[in-house]
Amino acid sequence: MNLFQSITSALDNALAKDPTAVVFGEDVAFGGVFRCTVGLRDKYGKDRVFNTPLCEQGIVGFGIGVAVAGATAIAEIQFADYIFPAFDQIVNEAAKYRYRSGDLFNCGNLTIRAPWGCVGHGALYHSQSPEAFFAHCPGIKIVIPRSPLQAKGLLLSCIEDKNPCIFFEPKILYRAAVEQVPVEPYNIPLSQAEVLQTGSDVTLVAWGTQVHVIKEVAAMAQEKLGVSCEVIDLRTILPWDTETVCKSVAKTGRLLISHEAPLTGGFASEISSTVQEECFLNLEAPISRVCGYDTPFPHIFEPFYIPDKWKCYDALRKMINY
Amino acid sequence: ASRVMVASRNYADFASEATFEIKKCDLHRLEEGPSTTAVMTREEGLHYYKTMQTIRRMELKSDQLYKQKIIRGFCHLYDGQEACCVGLEVAIKPTDHVITAYRAHGFTYARGVPVREILAELTGRKGGCVKGKGGSMHMYTKNFYGGNGIVGAQVPLGAGIALACKYFGKNEVCLTLYGDGAANQGQIFETYNMAALWKLPCVFICENNRYGMGTSVERAAASTDYYKRGDFIPGLRVDGMDVLCVREAAKFATEYCRAGKGPILMELQTYRYHGHSMSDPGISYRTREEIQEVRSKSDPITLLKDRMVNTNLASIEELKEIDVAVRKEIEEAAQFATTDPEPPLEELGNHIYFNEPPFEVRGPNQWIKYKSVS
Repeated sequence: MNLFQSITSALDNALAKDPTAVVFGEDVAFGGVFRCTVGLRDKYGKDRVFNTPLCEQGIVGFGIGVAVAGATAIAEIQFADYIFPAFDQIVNEAAKYRYRSGDLFNCGNLTIRAPWGCVGHGALYHSQSPEAFFAHCPGIKIVIPRSPLQAKGLLLSCIEDKNPCIFFEPKILYRAAVEQVPVEPYNIPLSQAEVLQTGSDVTLVAWGTQVHVIKEVAAMAQEKLGVSCEVIDLRTILPWDTETVCKSVAKTGRLLISHEAPLTGGFASEISSTVQEECFLNLEAPISRVCGYDTPFPHIFEPFYIPDKWKCYDALRKMINY
Repeated sequence: ASRVMVASRNYADFASEATFEIKKCDLHRLEEGPSTTAVMTREEGLHYYKTMQTIRRMELKSDQLYKQKIIRGFCHLYDGQEACCVGLEVAIKPTDHVITAYRAHGFTYARGVPVREILAELTGRKGGCVKGKGGSMHMYTKNFYGGNGIVGAQVPLGAGIALACKYFGKNEVCLTLYGDGAANQGQIFETYNMAALWKLPCVFICENNRYGMGTSVERAAASTDYYKRGDFIPGLRVDGMDVLCVREAAKFATEYCRAGKGPILMELQTYRYHGHSMSDPGISYRTREEIQEVRSKSDPITLLKDRMVNTNLASIEELKEIDVAVRKEIEEAAQFATTDPEPPLEELGNHIYFNEPPFEVRGPNQWIKYKSVS
């Protein structure tokens, strides 16, 4: 299956297992603009899979209400770039519900899905990676898969998790990433990073599409520099797996973090800060962050903007020779 | 050799103006509406025709360039809706302000940006009206505030511009446009409240082309009478395929605002031939027959052409000549748009902030920096 089919499969499993589950968002009824919800309405009926009008704040607020009342709400925001009208609802209402009601109420049944990341021609408003904005908010979980197999397991975990979750799906991988994915439901634990490749010289950390970039960089480094890289997919951004990353850096002594979002205030800064606190004496070189520029996501300049493998490779080389 | 007079056009043969009956507008909280007759002079007619035809051909050219992958990204085309932007533009003054959403190419042209700059902006070249940095959805010019990507977000901005108009006291108004899909956004209603409370000279205009992307209005809105959605704001529903109807209604609306009576809402009932954007074929949520029907019965350009020919304001040959001239202009513009160089890489960092000495923009790693000049 490719990424969008694995999402459909996950939603199918969720709707089958949980009779209170509902899927809603803009244009989900016919299958969604990325075909993630194809066939679900026919299978589960129009009172479980339905369209909302064009109102993100309304969608999330409504989702919080559904979740608090006890049903499992799976809301779709059409593009992560449009999630900002709903920012207040997510940060002020959803994230703080359990805390402010002393655990009397919670909206843990809420999962918000949104296509995320650059896609080659998205320009300012179809390419953003807003995980850093939400990472600053205790009370929600943020998850970003790198492949269809990961996506299905992580999405099912998010839906079953008793906390409001935001699930960002790399839109460029919807069709491009294809894997063998089990039809049966399965879970991948949240807040656990995955070490894709062990190594001894440098740790590379990324999430979503960027994982594939750093895997290539690891191969390049091995071939051209004889450098052995440890590649980690963070998977859950909030709460993130500090143990795995710090253990890895303690072993290698060098860390490179990469993401498409702008450099200043991007999630790499949080990882960098924590790692230097925990592993200061182990570090051989300053932690390198290869990220997008501090500009809005450009239209024509996109190939220059994104942290591609050459920029990562260059940073890696400088770190090795520090 | 003898010179033979092949044909001569005698301008005295044409009528100088004609009066037309136009459709009455549905009214909400208004005692009377715009007049049901409109006078159009020959010059006006030719101007409207040329403008609408230019926009039509420009959009079709953009379609072509997109399919050739010369234009990339998102492209939302305006063909079918030309009467709206032309009718509005001729009813307001160049000092009035306009803000709209992403289906903006028509307005950009109407507000004075030459076709070559629009096409160059679409192809992302430095000759574009925004230096190639904006693309299809972000085109701007004097008194035209774009070109906005996020649905509905431009409406509170429009009210703000209207407030500035009122504050500066120069008798200007702001046309704030949005679509039938955006009409369901919360911020629109917040804006209605503010505009009515403070009596802002804001003309809210809902371009209802019956489909919000792929969702028909019946499936998205509890009330499809968009002109009544302003509740306490008076409204009128206008036939958006008739340029004269739009013009008269816009004149009525802007007079209302200039008289200080507060905001007013106009719903323009129109239609787009293309899908929502270039990635939408436009036929999965509506039938080809429907599109054909609108094209044959209500096409704005054909409507104007028939009117002008039937009342002897112009001849078919003359209009054909305009077509040829327009085609040529578009071809030249497309040529420019494909050959103009792209903006230099240094532009990536420019105009993020306003800063006196240029500051450094951090890049993907600590060794890449760009100067931000603004």
